[in-house]
Amino acid sequence: MIVPLEHIIILAAVLFGLGLVCTLVWRTNVIMLLIGIEIMLNAAMLVFVGGSARWGMPDGQVFALMIMAMTSAEVSLALALVVYLHRRRNSVDVDEFRELKD
Amino acid sequence: MKLYLELIILFPLSGAIVNLLLGGRLLPRRASEILACAAIWGSFVATVAAATAYSAPMTVEITSWLAAFDLKAPISLYLDPLSLSLCLMITFVCGLIHTYAVGYMKDDPSPVRFFALLNLFVAAMLTLVLAGNLPLLYLGWEGVGFCSYALIGFWYRDPQNATAGRKAFIVTRIGDIGLGIAIVWLFQLCGTVSIQQLNQMGANIPPGVITALGLLMLLGAMGKSAQVPLMVWLPDAMAGPTPVSAQIHAATMVTAGVYLLMRMFPLIGSSASLCAAIAVTGALTAFYGATCALAQRDLKRILAYSTISQIGYMMLGVGSGAISAATFHLLVHAFFKALLFLGAGCVITALHHEQDIFRMGGLRRSLPWTFWPFLGGALCLAGLPLTGGFFSKDGILAAVWLKGGALYGGLYFAGLLTAFITAVYTMRMVLIVFEGEEIPLNPPLSKGEVKSLPRVMEWTLLPLALLGIFGGLLNLPEFLGGGVLNSFLSHPGSQELQLSHSSELLLQGVAAVVALAGMATAWLRYGGLRRQLRLTEAELPARGLSAFLLEGWRVDALYDLLFVRTYIRLSGFLWQQLDEGCIDDSLDRIAAQLGRWGQRLGGWGEGRVSLSLLSMAAGAALIIVWLTWVTI
Repeated sequence: MIVPLEHIIILAAVLFGLGLVCTLVWRTNVIMLLIGIEIMLNAAMLVFVGGSARWGMPDGQVFALMIMAMTSAEVSLALALVVYLHRRRNSVDVDEFRELKD
Repeated sequence: MKLYLELIILFPLSGAIVNLLLGGRLLPRRASEILACAAIWGSFVATVAAATAYSAPMTVEITSWLAAFDLKAPISLYLDPLSLSLCLMITFVCGLIHTYAVGYMKDDPSPVRFFALLNLFVAAMLTLVLAGNLPLLYLGWEGVGFCSYALIGFWYRDPQNATAGRKAFIVTRIGDIGLGIAIVWLFQLCGTVSIQQLNQMGANIPPGVITALGLLMLLGAMGKSAQVPLMVWLPDAMAGPTPVSAQIHAATMVTAGVYLLMRMFPLIGSSASLCAAIAVTGALTAFYGATCALAQRDLKRILAYSTISQIGYMMLGVGSGAISAATFHLLVHAFFKALLFLGAGCVITALHHEQDIFRMGGLRRSLPWTFWPFLGGALCLAGLPLTGGFFSKDGILAAVWLKGGALYGGLYFAGLLTAFITAVYTMRMVLIVFEGEEIPLNPPLSKGEVKSLPRVMEWTLLPLALLGIFGGLLNLPEFLGGGVLNSFLSHPGSQELQLSHSSELLLQGVAAVVALAGMATAWLRYGGLRRQLRLTEAELPARGLSAFLLEGWRVDALYDLLFVRTYIRLSGFLWQQLDEGCIDDSLDRIAAQLGRWGQRLGGWGEGRVSLSLLSMAAGAALIIVWLTWVTI
């Protein structure tokens, strides 16, 4: 293993932070919010794979595969929701949708 | 040598990729046609170069592919006499077919998709043949399956064609399950997937397990090679363009199953009951295909059933342990069957996509350049003495006879009977299509009767006809000096039994008499003036036995009843009762209840997604801070 685990964790932390900021700041667009979530998931996946390589256990890789499967399902569902919302309101602004309140 | 082997696969693969990426808008039509043909001929040149440089079986590891813990399946190519002779055949025949396809598809609106898929098919087939380990072979195996699916349904706007493609895909998938299980099982037993190593490990595996493994592989071969009971997809696969039928469903892809069994024969051949199962499957299929071909009216379906039948012969050869005889038949069959399909394509194009043989006639005079090569191919198929088809079929029958015993004795006579039927249906086809008066077409063609064909389509027939007719020279019987192919294919360890010269001559005499008798029978029934009689008969709908044969022993209807309807009924039940009635309904109720609670809870919140996210992040941060500093 050439890349030490610390570097992987730092990279993952940076990615996670970027994703989080993207989610919190970009509130005018649901799609950017989804992208932020994806980036955070990928950061988590990176830690899994890095840990699996560090300790030679396949579990982490298995988890990464599971996350990939889950994300693809999640993205397809979320995009369908976005399309639906856009049709109803003609907007993708996150704060426009406040039906939970009413 | 490594370079040659890489180039064999890379040429068609890059041809497909370049055509897909650049074709259509950037490349003119002529350029993508030339590119596709050049890729295959380049691959042929690389194969010839590899053949001249070849000295002993060798493995070339190109790069690592699948490697996880103790599973290692690199992209490694294995070249031995068997794979080399198959590669030569594949690249040559496919090259000719690509050239032919340029003429055949000249009015088609989407040549890029067509040629890219054809090239991709050749790349996958060569991967299958050259693969040094089972996962790579499986990659090629599924690759050819996919290309076959996409090309059968090439004219997908007609739902019938798309259905035929799906049928081929699903039926072959049933067989692929067997092969997939066999690969995983072999890895679990032996800890390796390399074909070379597996073939040497036969002694360490219990015989019962070998039989089971072999049966799983046989299931895979049945699907891919259209053997009984998974043969139903091949006749329908004729919905694709004719070059596709020639390339995939006659010459190359359908022989993949036979190739798999030959490749693994050192491992699975030690089980006598498995060999018997392979031989019985082959003989049964040969008989089935030949009888069905006897009653068909569609020119391409006759050829499709005859392909099924001829591959049955190859399986029979493998089951009798005669690998070189089966390979010989595979090669010769590829030549003459590709020729017959291409000839049929010429006929069909000339008659404006008329495929019913009873509406053809007199083409001997109007299409002489198609007739003579087609006749050559037909004589090969019928097994006229001294053509390539005669020697190769006789080699298999002699091997079966040599095995002896009640079972193989019976199979020998089944093979002879099939040879007789083969001769009958082949000559029936030739006599009805090419002899007699020209039948006025509906709508009638203008004067000149037949549309002129692109020259290139007829030129490609000649080399194939020569190879088919003189293919016997590849592997002459022992008393004529022995075969080149035989000595090339036999490796030092194997001792194939040899017949004495007199009994071999006797067997060949019997085969010759049977073939000639079959041709004479066809002449008695369809020759001369009696042909007109049969045409009048064909106006009426088929009844009785001939209807039974026309519908392929009604296997399709049987499968429809057994599997398709049962499946539809089961899925209807699962859909309406289980899914909608039970799961959906209970979920709907839970959701309604949750919704009611949510309404009540929603009153407390602000309802802005961004605010909730922010508070969630802040809460998570607080928890992490607590866990890191406070609890430690």
